[in-house]
Amino acid sequence: MKRNLLKGSVGPKDNDSRFLLDVHRRDLPGEDTMVRYDDADEVDLCIVGAGAGGSVLAQRVARAGWRVVILEVGPFWHPDEDWVSDEAGSHDLYWTQKRIIGGTDPIEMGKNNSGRGVGGSMVHYAGYCPRFHPSDFHTQTLDGVGADWPIAYEDLRAHYETVERELPVAGQDWPWGYPHSYPFSPHPISEAASVMWRGALKLGITMRVGPVGIVNGTFGNRPHCIYRGYCLQGCKVNAKASPYVTHLPDALAHHVEIRAGCMAARVEIDQPSGQATGVTYLREGDAVERLQRAKVVAVAGYSIETPRLLLNSASGRFPRGLGNNEDQVGRYVMVQGASQTAGRFPDELRMYKAPPPEVSSEDFYETDPSRGFARGFSIQTVSPLPIGWAEHVLADGHWGRALREYMRDYNHWACIGVLNELLPQPDNRVTLAEEKDPYGLPVARFDFSLGDNDKANIAYSTKVITDILHAAGAQDVLTIHRYAHLVGGARMGTAPDNSVIDADQRLWGVPNVYVCDGSVCPTQGSANPALTIMALASRLGAHLARNGRP
Amino acid sequence: MGRDLSKPDHLPNLRPGREPPHSSWLPLQRRGITPQMIGRYPDYDVLDSADTWDDATAKVVNARLHVPTELRFFSVGEVATLRAFCNVCVAQDGEPRVPVVEMIDERLAAGRLDGYQYADMPDDRDTWHVVLAGLDEVAEARYGKATFAACELETQEAIVAQLADAQLSGGSWDSLNVKRAWSVCMRMILAAFYAHPWAWNEIGFGGPAYPRGYMRLGPISTLEPFERPGATDEDPVREAPELKG
Repeated sequence: MKRNLLKGSVGPKDNDSRFLLDVHRRDLPGEDTMVRYDDADEVDLCIVGAGAGGSVLAQRVARAGWRVVILEVGPFWHPDEDWVSDEAGSHDLYWTQKRIIGGTDPIEMGKNNSGRGVGGSMVHYAGYCPRFHPSDFHTQTLDGVGADWPIAYEDLRAHYETVERELPVAGQDWPWGYPHSYPFSPHPISEAASVMWRGALKLGITMRVGPVGIVNGTFGNRPHCIYRGYCLQGCKVNAKASPYVTHLPDALAHHVEIRAGCMAARVEIDQPSGQATGVTYLREGDAVERLQRAKVVAVAGYSIETPRLLLNSASGRFPRGLGNNEDQVGRYVMVQGASQTAGRFPDELRMYKAPPPEVSSEDFYETDPSRGFARGFSIQTVSPLPIGWAEHVLADGHWGRALREYMRDYNHWACIGVLNELLPQPDNRVTLAEEKDPYGLPVARFDFSLGDNDKANIAYSTKVITDILHAAGAQDVLTIHRYAHLVGGARMGTAPDNSVIDADQRLWGVPNVYVCDGSVCPTQGSANPALTIMALASRLGAHLARNGRP
Repeated sequence: MGRDLSKPDHLPNLRPGREPPHSSWLPLQRRGITPQMIGRYPDYDVLDSADTWDDATAKVVNARLHVPTELRFFSVGEVATLRAFCNVCVAQDGEPRVPVVEMIDERLAAGRLDGYQYADMPDDRDTWHVVLAGLDEVAEARYGKATFAACELETQEAIVAQLADAQLSGGSWDSLNVKRAWSVCMRMILAAFYAHPWAWNEIGFGGPAYPRGYMRLGPISTLEPFERPGATDEDPVREAPELKG
């Protein structure tokens, strides 16, 4: 009864970020008064990477009194000045430093899947925040594919619930996986998304609004979404959740230092004991190596940079790279198939309005033997802005006058996509390339090849979304095959010969180094990974804080 | 009689040879500027709303209206072929043109690349040089012209079609993966062209909307007060039924 009288979402305990934000400015509050640790000052925890994993971990242990430094290679954003409502102008939000891509199906990086700067990739993610399903943790047992996690859904459930309140996530009651509700009511949806939903209904496919990490109403000092549609270009409103607004304000208030513009070169190891002593890093524009001493190190650089840093941390004691005695670092990197199909409709839909993520379905998430492949996919509405739409039209084979004709028709189109669970493969892996970056560190090479199960999944799911468009009455259809998201590369497991870290995310063979980002996932489900990365970091934070400061 | 925009019969996939209709079915722009002054929204200019954009966004978008004309990345010898190639790729067959060449030159000179390089490809910057050299080689070897730029428009389009279909080989083309070279160039050309507010006018895109936001999500209407519906080239006075008897 009492709860029904409250408006909006009930906030979380133990995280004041929403109140620390300024109503009128977008800057991360507390930068001016932020604590500054000395390199020689042995902090409790040095985290590499201020993204979804690193930021949540920092906030959690800082609340338990730990002294924390986060090294972040990208900039300390000042969104009022640095972020723009513009596609091409958002180039610097992405990791656009060079990576080499190979394999039979090379994965395009950059704006597609890689962030850089305080807040990480969640600064430019679309905002979809689904949970993994319980089945995702046991795919080897259930379906004979992928890998079993050393933990189960129940180990993460409380952290999913906490993080959903912190973002907070808006959406309808969720019938799939482990059924649950969301703290914020669902957003109103655009006509472009409604058209898809009507098509799905005709085919008997269930769709629900959400789940998105975008406030639907005010939340502390965060204002309502204004439906401007530039979620992938960084939210200038503070409506979309990212660690920049959900965890780092509270972290700064609890004496975390974020040292931006600092590239981690290697984790330093005390050779006799095999313990980490800190992280050697380089400041932008300065060739002098510095060592931040720390009792504990957490690597949170995501699926490309985390393996790269571990491999670049080779030393006499770990000649093949840190945690790589069994040649497991960098293996089993996964992306999700993310084909998108667009349909043309008689009325102007103007899909650029409202957030790109709106309505989704997990009807096809688990294995159905009649489909002829293991595991499945999810369906989500999307809405590319003009440059994204041009890439979509190009992918259907159009250029010149034909491309201009389709582009002029932009306002009549609506778009729907899938996320396929592609299976982990040992040779889909990050290694070090010959080429070096401006810091003199070898860049990452990422090889990726699809398996037969992956190809069958992609083909089947593309037909399903195309059928939805036809059922919705689309007059013409254009398809682009692409990939999204990253997980794996430093996966958790039961032994050093099948993984890089244990169930507590600690590196095998190194007692005080943890991995805390999407690279720890042995499988990926068909869910966008952001929420799970945060939940895993929350779990690790609780584990580390349990016994007080190191 | 003008076309009914609710019908899709102008779309290439639904037409013989996947060819679009001649651009004469489109109205000439009456307000603001579009590339070649054609478009579907003749009475719409996204720049009319520029005073409602936040300063950071306005600065970035307005800079595209004043791109420096001096090239820093491409050499003098490459410019004619580069210009002809970019014109064909996005069908800019007349003025006013979005300054695609200048925008790409600025990006490449600043080293603002996309963050990945295929293992079987050179650096994107080298790819551009190779593609331009390759286009000139094809023009000479197959069509007897000194350069790509010296070819007739139809010939240029035929060569680009072969590039798009990865049908070019020999000489410079053997030093890279042709299919990926096409993708490298087109990605950059499209990112430049559709970043320009003139192109937004052509396609009726509402543009930056911060701090104002969008409110009309449908279904009653998807038009904000400052947006205009699509239109074709019929004269509203001459086409009025009462004048037709």
